Amino acid sequence: MFDFDATLPLMAVQFLILMFLLNQIFYKPLNNALDERADYIRKNQTEARERLSEAKELASQYEKQLAEARKESLQIIAAAKAEAKKIAEEQIAEAQKEAQAKREEAAKEIDAQKQAAMQSLEQQVDVLSRQILEKLLGPELVK
Amino acid sequence: MEMINALNVLNSFSLAEIEVGNHFYWEIGNLKIHGQVFLTSWFVIAILILASLAAIRNVQIQKAPSGIQNFMEFVLESLRDLARAQLGEKEYRPWLPFIGTLFLFIFVSNWSGALIPWKIIEIPNSELAAPTNDINTTVALALLTSIAYFYAGFSKKGLGYFANYIEPIPILLPIKILEDFTKPLSLSFRLFGNILADELVVAVLVFLVPLFVPLPLMALGLFTSAIQALVFATLAGAYIHEAIEGYDEEHE
Repeated sequence: MFDFDATLPLMAVQFLILMFLLNQIFYKPLNNALDERADYIRKNQTEARERLSEAKELASQYEKQLAEARKESLQIIAAAKAEAKKIAEEQIAEAQKEAQAKREEAAKEIDAQKQAAMQSLEQQVDVLSRQILEKLLGPELVK
Repeated sequence: MEMINALNVLNSFSLAEIEVGNHFYWEIGNLKIHGQVFLTSWFVIAILILASLAAIRNVQIQKAPSGIQNFMEFVLESLRDLARAQLGEKEYRPWLPFIGTLFLFIFVSNWSGALIPWKIIEIPNSELAAPTNDINTTVALALLTSIAYFYAGFSKKGLGYFANYIEPIPILLPIKILEDFTKPLSLSFRLFGNILADELVVAVLVFLVPLFVPLPLMALGLFTSAIQALVFATLAGAYIHEAIEGYDEEHE
């Protein structure tokens, strides 16, 4: 069971040869492959991360722009509303003024006509009273 | 005598025979080597090399790997984790081939011993089994580990490595020196004992009850084989780490 002979050193040499052979055809190429793949993955990952951050930046930029546009539109709407209100108020005031003027004019005209009517009525009253007097007293007395 | 004959008849039916210490000797010059160990270790080495070659035939980097490349990348990542856990992020790269190859060689050896019915192939005087159930193999690997951690210590700290022996207190010096001997001894005997015992237990059970009963033990054998490979590689990493890292640095 325990007989040592030339098997021992030959086995050691054989093992060393196997080690160098495997180093050439197994460890080196596959280590390289693993490292290169790790590099490749890392590169892709950083690239993807960069792209993601870029995309996020763009998205936030767009969002900012969108918010600005929304604010602007709100402002425009508010301005337009204010202007419309102003215009409406102006027009109402104008219309009221016009109406007032027309009413005053009408009142004046009414007054004038009343005056005229009263005048003509007075004249008629004069004439009529004269005629009544003439009838009662006779035309010669009335002078 | 008749009992023994009956046993022999039984033996000739079963695939398993219990033989320890019989070797299929090859002689090179006047050196004797164990042929059966080399045959199976060549098989193991061939598996490892073929799998590696298949994995790197056309390496996909930008796409997700598939098939054998995916599998071998998974293996490599596990080995990297193993080495990194012992040696740390900064130091593990140069030692990855050593620790990784230790694990792969021991693991494939153990599992080839457990899964492949080597006994079908007949060779004179012996039988094929996992290379790791020969003490020569495990001692070779353990001595390589010792050399590796001495090399690691000296290349990192020069002669300052000897300071390790008297830190944190010089009173431990004898124990530290003893450790240099016990480390390879325990590494090699642990592996050797586990694998040999596992094969023996399975062989004995197959010899006693040929059907079904040995199966759970075979499964257990697969488990211990994997664990032993892991333990060997992990300990090798831990020893190398111990040699590299000084007492002071660890506590900074």
